[in-house]
Amino acid sequence: MSAFGRIFGVARVEWLRLIRAPMTFTLLLIVPAMQVLLFGYAIRPTSAKVSIAIAAPSQVSAKKVAAALANQSGLKVISGSLKSGQAESLVRSRGVLIGIELPEMRSFANPFAPQKPLRIIVDGTNATLTAAAVPKIEAAYWREIVARADASDSGPGLKIERLYNPDQRADWTFLPALIGVTVMISMIMLGTLSLAREREGGTWEALLAMPIGAAETLLGKLLPYTVIGLVQGTVVLVVGISLFDLPTHGSVAALVLVLPLFAAAHLVLGYAISTRAATQVAALQGAVAFYLPAMLLSGFLYPFETLPHWAQIIGNFFPLTHFIKAAQGAFLRGDLAADTFTHAVPICAFLAGVTGLAIIAHARRLD
Amino acid sequence: MAVLHMTMVDPLIAVTGLGKSYAGRSVIQNVGLTVMPGDIVGLVGANGGGKTTSLRMIAGLLQPDTGEGRVFGANIRNPKRDCRKQIGYMSQRLALYPDLSVIDNLRFRCAVYGVADTGAAIAQMAADYGLNAVLETRFGHLSGGWARRVQFAASIIHAPPLLLLDEPTAGLDAATRQDIWHWLDRLAAKGHAIIIATHDLIEAERLPSILLYHQGHAAQACSPAEFITSHHAKSLEEAVISHAAGLGV
Repeated sequence: MSAFGRIFGVARVEWLRLIRAPMTFTLLLIVPAMQVLLFGYAIRPTSAKVSIAIAAPSQVSAKKVAAALANQSGLKVISGSLKSGQAESLVRSRGVLIGIELPEMRSFANPFAPQKPLRIIVDGTNATLTAAAVPKIEAAYWREIVARADASDSGPGLKIERLYNPDQRADWTFLPALIGVTVMISMIMLGTLSLAREREGGTWEALLAMPIGAAETLLGKLLPYTVIGLVQGTVVLVVGISLFDLPTHGSVAALVLVLPLFAAAHLVLGYAISTRAATQVAALQGAVAFYLPAMLLSGFLYPFETLPHWAQIIGNFFPLTHFIKAAQGAFLRGDLAADTFTHAVPICAFLAGVTGLAIIAHARRLD
Repeated sequence: MAVLHMTMVDPLIAVTGLGKSYAGRSVIQNVGLTVMPGDIVGLVGANGGGKTTSLRMIAGLLQPDTGEGRVFGANIRNPKRDCRKQIGYMSQRLALYPDLSVIDNLRFRCAVYGVADTGAAIAQMAADYGLNAVLETRFGHLSGGWARRVQFAASIIHAPPLLLLDEPTAGLDAATRQDIWHWLDRLAAKGHAIIIATHDLIEAERLPSILLYHQGHAAQACSPAEFITSHHAKSLEEAVISHAAGLGV
C-alpha cells in the first residue's frame, strides 16, 4: 500500500472517531461560534464610554461643564449636578470612573480668595480605559478657556488625581485579575479531569459500586485540589507583591480566604461538566467553552465597563468577574474585609448552584 | 424464567423478571435469580449475552427497565448504602488506581468500606493471596496476573457476604486461574455467596449451578451436568451449541 493509502487510512479513522463523539464535535463548532459572537458584539473597547460625574457649587456651572463634554466621544456624563465632594465619592464607590469637582469661584464678597483648581478624580484601577478619557477632558477645558473674551485668564487650572494607581501601572491592574484567571483555568481543568480520568481508566464503575454518596465523592475528590488552588493563588499573589510592588491597600487576607471558595466553584463546575462528558477530551472542551467567555466578559481582557449591558449581565454570572473586583479592591482600592466578602457572595451562590447540579448529574448508576 | 435455589432461609438476592434495553435493543429479558449464603452461581454465556448487565443491576449500577426484587432486603431499584457495603464487586476491567501502590489501593478500599483494622485487613489479604512482594508496587506496573490477584483481594477486603465477579479469570495464565478458583471454593466454604460471570465453558463446568445466557435470555438454571444431560451432549460446550441451535439463533 502506498504512503498515501496509509495516510488516508489514518485520516479516515480519525474522522470517524471525531464525528462519532457528538460532544467533541459540537464543542468544536460551539467554541468558535461563541468567539465570533463575543468578539463581534460584546468586545468593543473603542466604542466604550467612560462614565463621569460632575460636582459643582452651582447648577449653572455644572451644566456648562456637562455641555462642554457632551460632544466628546468616549465620555458619558451620568451625574451632572452633584454637591461638592459627591463626584469624588462616586468614583471611590465605583459609581463612575471619573469625577470632576468644580472649585468655589471668587465671589464679589471675597474677590481675592485663593483660586482652587478644577479637580479631575480618576479611578486608576482601570488605567487603560481612563487613559484616553483624561486628555479629552483637558482638551475640552482649554477650548472653553480659549473661547473666553479675556484670553489672559487661564481659569482655575486643572488638577488630575489618579486614585489607587497614581502611576497608571498596567501591571497593577492586570496582576490582581491574573490571580483569578490562573486559579480558574487550573481548577476547572482539574475538576473536569478528576472524573473523566476515572471514567476512562475504569475506576469509575468500581467507585459507583462502593458505599459512598455523591456528595462524599465530590467533596473527597475536590478537597485536595482546593488546597492546590489556594496555594497557587497565593503564589501568584506573593509574586505580584514581591516582584511587581503590587500595593496591599486593603484586606488581602480576606481575599486569601475567598480563594478556596473561588477555586471550589470552578472545581465543582469542572466536575459537573465531566459527569456529562464521555471522554477527557470532551470534558476539556467543555471547560474551554466556559472559561473563554469568562475571560472575555469578566473584565480581565477588556474593561467590564466597556461591555454592552447584555454582556455585563452574562459577565456577572461568572465568579471571575466578582473575584477580579474583590482582588482589585483588596490590592488597589483599600477595600476592607467586609467589602471583599460582599464580592464573595455571588461566588458562593455560584458554588452552591453548581454543587447542586454536580450532585444531581453524578449518576449513581452507569445507565 | 430461570429461578435458582429456593429455601425457607432469607435469600441474599431474590429478583424476578429483570429486563434491560439500550437504545431500543433488548440486552436481557425476564431474568430471575435467587441466591443463598454459600451459593456459587455462574452466569454463563457468550460475550454480549447480558451477563455483565445482570451483575451490574444486582450491584446497583444499572436500573432495570422491568422486573423487581431485593438484594440484601433492599429494593433493587433503590439500593441503600448498607446494601453496597455487603457486596464485593469486581469488574471485568482493572479498576484500581494505576498510579497508586497496591497498599494504597487497599487502604482506600478499607476507608470507603469502613474496615475497622486496616493494617490487619491488608496483612490478611497479603497473606491469603500472596501479595506481600507487590504491596509497595504501583498497581499500573503489575502484570495482568498480579493485577487480577490484587483486584480480587481489593474486592473482598471488607469480607462481603456476596461477591460479584465479572470474568475474573479472563486472559490469565493457568496457574493464576487455578489460584482464583481455589480462593472462590474457600470463600464459598466460609459461607460467602458468589456470582461469577464467565464465557469460559470449561471453567463453567466446575460450577455447582449455572444460569445460561443467550442473547439476553437466561435460559436455564441447573447444574452443568443436568444441562449437558438434558441436551444429550458430551460437554457443556456441545450442550450450549445445541441449545442455541434449538432457539434458532
